Amino acid sequence: MLALPATLFTATFFLLPVLVLLSEGFKIDDAWSLQGYADFISKPLNQTVFFRTLKLGFLVAGVSSIIGYATAFSIFHLPPKHRGRIFGLVVLPLMISPVARTYAWIVILGRTGIVNDAIVGLGLSNTPIRLLFTETAVFLGLLQLFMPLMIIPLVSAMENLPSDAIAAARVLGANWLQVFLKVILPLTKEGLVIGGTLVFTGSLTAYITPAILGGAKVLMLETLLYQRVNVANDFVSAGIIATILITMSFGANFLFKRIATART
Amino acid sequence: MKYLIFTVIGAILLIHTAVAAEKKLTISVYSFAQDAYKEALYDPFEAICDCELVIETGNSVERMAKIEANAANPVIDMAVISSHDALALARKGLLKNLDVSKLSSYKDLYEAAKDPLGDNWAVGYTFYASSIVYRSDLVQINSWKDLLSPELAGRVALPNITGTQGPLTLFMLSKALGHRGYGFEETIDTIGANADDIVTFYVRSSQLAQLMNQEEVIAAPVGRFAWSRFSSSPLPFVWATPKEGQTGGMNVMIMTKDNGNEELAYQFMDYWLSVESQTRIANAKIDSPANKNVKISDEVAESLTYGAELIDSLNIISPADIIDNRESWVERWNTKVIK
Amino acid sequence: MRKWISLLIIGLTLTFLIGPFFIIIGAGLSAGENLAFPPDGLSLNWYWAVFKVESFRESFALSLFLAVFGTLTALVLGVPAAYALSRYRIPFAETVKMIVAAPIIVPGIIVGLGLLRYLVIPLDFTVSLALFMAHTALVIPYAVRVVTASLENLRSDIEEAAILLGCTRLGAFVKVVLPNIRGGVLAAFILGFVTSFNQVPVSLFLSGPGVRTLPIDMLAYMEITYDPSVAALSALLAIMSVGIIFLAEKFLGFSRYV
Repeated sequence: MLALPATLFTATFFLLPVLVLLSEGFKIDDAWSLQGYADFISKPLNQTVFFRTLKLGFLVAGVSSIIGYATAFSIFHLPPKHRGRIFGLVVLPLMISPVARTYAWIVILGRTGIVNDAIVGLGLSNTPIRLLFTETAVFLGLLQLFMPLMIIPLVSAMENLPSDAIAAARVLGANWLQVFLKVILPLTKEGLVIGGTLVFTGSLTAYITPAILGGAKVLMLETLLYQRVNVANDFVSAGIIATILITMSFGANFLFKRIATART
Repeated sequence: MKYLIFTVIGAILLIHTAVAAEKKLTISVYSFAQDAYKEALYDPFEAICDCELVIETGNSVERMAKIEANAANPVIDMAVISSHDALALARKGLLKNLDVSKLSSYKDLYEAAKDPLGDNWAVGYTFYASSIVYRSDLVQINSWKDLLSPELAGRVALPNITGTQGPLTLFMLSKALGHRGYGFEETIDTIGANADDIVTFYVRSSQLAQLMNQEEVIAAPVGRFAWSRFSSSPLPFVWATPKEGQTGGMNVMIMTKDNGNEELAYQFMDYWLSVESQTRIANAKIDSPANKNVKISDEVAESLTYGAELIDSLNIISPADIIDNRESWVERWNTKVIK
Repeated sequence: MRKWISLLIIGLTLTFLIGPFFIIIGAGLSAGENLAFPPDGLSLNWYWAVFKVESFRESFALSLFLAVFGTLTALVLGVPAAYALSRYRIPFAETVKMIVAAPIIVPGIIVGLGLLRYLVIPLDFTVSLALFMAHTALVIPYAVRVVTASLENLRSDIEEAAILLGCTRLGAFVKVVLPNIRGGVLAAFILGFVTSFNQVPVSLFLSGPGVRTLPIDMLAYMEITYDPSVAALSALLAIMSVGIIFLAEKFLGFSRYV
């Protein structure tokens, strides 16, 4: 009873419109049809955009898991007094508007921006290189946007590590690498999985970053959807892209959860 | 705080309060420079008409979709829109044929603005030229073809096909490359072959201005309405006069069919087209005049597309050619250029 | 040695995560017309300019309204749900959990488009109302999750004790449970507020005449003028967020709940 209002509200004002929108992908001129999907899949642009979105999602999740793990591990080894403060600094970017977060990269990655100044200054290249409106730019933007979502669950997973388990392994003669692989990694796997899900789905559904840093040359599913609706009033494609995005989000949630609960 | 309270009440009671003004005219306009329009056009009109202007803004697709969705019972009385979008609406039977005898300024318009779509479906209220802006210290542009020259590789931006400027660039490039017809197939293929050399396909001229001031891009086609962003820069930007000429376009006023508010809409359109309003709008550097009796200073004219000679010289694609071919351009562009 | 490596890693990551904000703050200080870093001369002009843009003031008010009242509504709906989920064995608990969690997983752009196309256009909902619905639904998952976590840390026998002592269930909730989960509710409020305030994809399609959330208005402004005022506004918002988090952390130990 008590859970009813929240459930009904979400179902009516959130899920229902979404479901109707998804159904549009299966309709051509008000008749049910899979023709929309056939047309959609046959277009090379759509294929490129789909695989690019998937690739960037995995890449951002993968790279942020490595950097995030190293960072979380380092934070975990700080004295508790500093830990909270540093952790606060990691959480901080999440509280700031993604418009602001993405906007900064235009300045950083431009031809006269600091990255190019450094590249030319260090003699890595004679002329500035093009970074804006490339997949690299979108990748960096997404990485910065979502890395905190990786670090947070990892730090809390590490805080729940039983400290005696590490000590015990050490006493039993395990070296640090063994301790890491046999004790720490399995026990923090869940944090990694939660972080991975959040970062992956975040990257799929980010709009601003690909819109600002990628532009028309580096379309992702989300920006393609916006373009189809706003330029062509094409709700069949919109419904299809929406279905793909939702399937990918739920798929990732499901898959990662399976990995998390599977025995090592 | 007042606003908050208002919204709370609105949200809770689900009441759609009709504001109790005597007369109300709903217009649909481009979203840019609304503050300047308010000062130059909306406020002075409201002062004389004893009515309330309700202004809806958005990009053209949104606005057209809204006009179409409410065809049976129009919400929008009058709209300003590009000439080809207006033609698309006219073909769907959503527009009213204007009675130009109700527009006292009609006779003062440039010929091209008088009946651009036929059957008095629309009148033009502003023109714009489009050409190439470039850095004179780094390159020289003599032809539209130069956009694809090796000197510009990696430093040039083109307008995206989905915007208004995209087709204009294709049109002039085709002309320069010696391709015929409005299919633009070869031109799109050529751009596709050079896609790696193009920094981006920009959507808004403001974005281009930023990229060019940031020295990311050194040449790009752009509409004259954005020229002041370049001319005010410390960098040496020049407006090209390519040998194929400049291109351009026109925006028009339309009235929705059976909106029931025709008299007020005519009054507003006539006011907008009058020498008085067009001069104020021109001096605010937001739109170039379509009324040939408007006199402005050279300094203002510099930012605009002004004068019969210039307007007559523009290479303009007919609205019909744009609508008839747009789908296939986008299709080919998506396959060949941004694949 | 290991300590130094740790510090180096943390330093690099934080530079990557937070460095861009300093650039934004700096770019907003420019005296020139264009977005650049290092800025083109120093001035506070753009920071002042932000306050003079009428649409920024209006959209800020709207965003603030949505963030405050949307989150409050979400809490009113979400706290009972959290209570039910953590105290009772309710039928279809898993389904309920999934539905209230859905707004986190469903891409926002789809929701915004769906609301626009099926509520605003045919049913004549106002855009503000649709925004209100969307922003409320968006915060419900946070409200339910954070409050559930607090409730689970609270032993249920104290309410039972209160009831035995003659309280009604509602009375026990208000007098015993609520004061004890106050921290969690406040944390949920702040989290919801921030989520709602910064939300972009949901609001992307939900804009009408004079009705735009602040992030969308910033995007629209960028499309028209690319001057440093958006950088200045971004910096101001960032400083505002930092202030809220700082206060929340100071008074509530907020990071425990995130």
